[in-house]
Amino acid sequence: MFRFRAALGSLRGSWAYLSKKYPRVRWSIGALYWLPVGMAFTEFGGKVMLVTGRSMQPTLNPDDSRSRDLVWFDRYSICVNRKYTRGDIVALKSPSDSKLIVKRMIALPGDVVKTLPPYPDTEVKIPEGHAWVEGDEPFHSEDSNTFGPVPLGLIDSRLDTILWPLDRYGPVINPDLTMEQQKRRAQNRGPAWRKEMDEFDRERRRQARVVKAEDSSMG
Amino acid sequence: MFAPGARGWANLLNQKWRHRLRSTGLYCLMFIQAACTAHICAEHVGWVHRVIGPSMVPTMDPEGEWVIESRLISPHKLRRGDLATYISPLDPSRVVCKRVIGLPGDVICVDPTGKMAPSTEHVVVPKGHLWMSGDNAELSRDSREYGPVSMALVKGRQVARIWPPSRAIVFRRNFKYIDNV
Repeated sequence: MFRFRAALGSLRGSWAYLSKKYPRVRWSIGALYWLPVGMAFTEFGGKVMLVTGRSMQPTLNPDDSRSRDLVWFDRYSICVNRKYTRGDIVALKSPSDSKLIVKRMIALPGDVVKTLPPYPDTEVKIPEGHAWVEGDEPFHSEDSNTFGPVPLGLIDSRLDTILWPLDRYGPVINPDLTMEQQKRRAQNRGPAWRKEMDEFDRERRRQARVVKAEDSSMG
Repeated sequence: MFAPGARGWANLLNQKWRHRLRSTGLYCLMFIQAACTAHICAEHVGWVHRVIGPSMVPTMDPEGEWVIESRLISPHKLRRGDLATYISPLDPSRVVCKRVIGLPGDVICVDPTGKMAPSTEHVVVPKGHLWMSGDNAELSRDSREYGPVSMALVKGRQVARIWPPSRAIVFRRNFKYIDNV
């Protein structure tokens, strides 16, 4: 015990000496000490990422945008809560080459989906523990229509907020308008309204292709 | 004479409590840091895990054993006969351990016993996937059920068993290639 204390004391002494003499050492060791906390936060909380590619147009990286989108991905609801919702935009590891890709979750276990051309079957029932993901832009997207249903374990995080560019800053919400809301919105028609209606239309078309499972325990 | 006045007592008490609060806070921070470090180590370097379940009998005991898992491997380095851990495609909150049977490009007979699929059915393992199977075919849910497993789901490789000590062993690839014999 005495030896241990002596060792600790000498360690403390040398630490004080080093940190006084070389302030850089002090800063770098402090940063190293707190690095695991930051890593754990990116694992359980969420992280900021840059979205590249055009598979999620026009929701992300639209043609009239000058820069690529900087977005906040939320990992808490996926890794801790295990809450999967149809219509959410998610980042997932591609089953074929493990790269992170951004897609929209269309269907959950038990649902029946009408597939799009590259897929061999016209209809597919999503097996246990799997999901169907698709890009918003079917022509520039490699999604479940090419590689089939993906395991839920591959889903990494859920897109929460667009941070940059500033004119589209805000949380990404599913366009889920009732008729009442639609009528109210329709009173001041403009480019924004048209965009919104486009999005709503696409959402309705997507939903028309999915027959939801009877006992949807998730989402 | 030396006793502090009313304000003095309050001050002393304050000091004591301030000191206590400060040290508790510091200990909490240290605890959080240690927990995060342990978690990051378990996630990216390796850890000792308990393996339970009947799917890997006779390699693993169904009652549970302690096994060192390495997370420092890349799934592309796995070979036939390695024990790999991966997130179950059936349940994203579970990590399961199975043996690698087929690598990308291999032709696999789905189920030689003909129970889950006709014994004549063969598949080619696609690129970036592995064919995983439990050693105990009777009580294992593996690639026969959900098909080839994506390498993106693979977490690590089982290196050695350390408990119980009588069965301690370093796991080796137990595959014999017939054309080499």
